[in-house]
Amino acid sequence: MNSLAATICTHEPCTSTTCRLTCALEVIDELLQAQGTVRGEEVDALLDLRSLLRHRENAEAALALFCQLRRTMEERHYLAFYRLRRWLENQIEATVRIVRGAPERTAALRLDWYCLEPVRFHCLQSVRQLGEPVLAPRVRFTFRANTHQVEDGRQALVALASDVIPT
Amino acid sequence: MKTATATTTKTKSDTRLVDGLNLVLADCYQLMALTHLAHWNVEGPGFFQLHKAFEHQYEELFHAIDDIAERVRALDAYAIGGLSKLAQTADMDEFGPTMSQKDFVAALIVAHEKVIDDATRTRDHAAEMSDLETQDLMIKRLTFHQKTVWMLKSFLK
Repeated sequence: MNSLAATICTHEPCTSTTCRLTCALEVIDELLQAQGTVRGEEVDALLDLRSLLRHRENAEAALALFCQLRRTMEERHYLAFYRLRRWLENQIEATVRIVRGAPERTAALRLDWYCLEPVRFHCLQSVRQLGEPVLAPRVRFTFRANTHQVEDGRQALVALASDVIPT
Repeated sequence: MKTATATTTKTKSDTRLVDGLNLVLADCYQLMALTHLAHWNVEGPGFFQLHKAFEHQYEELFHAIDDIAERVRALDAYAIGGLSKLAQTADMDEFGPTMSQKDFVAALIVAHEKVIDDATRTRDHAAEMSDLETQDLMIKRLTFHQKTVWMLKSFLK
């Protein structure tokens, strides 16, 4: 069995509810180790993407960088980019506002395009009702709150509390 | 006539082994359905190759499912069934009918890797239980899935 597969789905199938936080980081690490098929500037961009995904803060920048890398590298590393695509679709969602002042709606992300604008447009269309007017629309990308992360945080707090509070 | 080996008798009560076999059974069933979907809907310059390759793969999986289910019965347990139960147990990412041919191939690689992972654990547990027949069956399954992953990956290069 190849090591990439082993690192991605060893204990849990990679679905939106069970996807492990580190999946994409491991795929990027494998790409960084792929000697002879990754150029110098791609290494820099991959490291930047790794950092953005690790900190889960700027989904917009992460997606833009992913699209840029996908355009140049996918031909050589199709499977790795397929895995990254699926992971990003599971981990990032779009918040859509169709009319200024109207409540925001959540749309699932589909990375079927090679730049961000069609992705944004698809998100907008996917939540827009038939005939609904569009006025100053806005589509923002954010990382989903991750249950694993919440659980880890809760456990860390419990551990901290047990250290601080004398029993 | 002796109908049960010593190892079979020992593993009859081992629910973990039966659960492992049933999981591989569910995986293979769902993978067969996904491969069938890919066989019907793949389009593009690689159509004939992929259409034929996917057909060979889902036919192989159809026979494998029977072998795995019968092994569960040989261990005096019951094989799981029913489409929703199998899908729920396998819990694989499903894909739609309209994808590029490379995406079909990549999605099937990921699905095969899930089977490899589950079959590996079942093989190892069978080895711990000295159940050589189940171990042998899992080795056969792994050989097929590893070979298929190699072929599918070669297509993507």
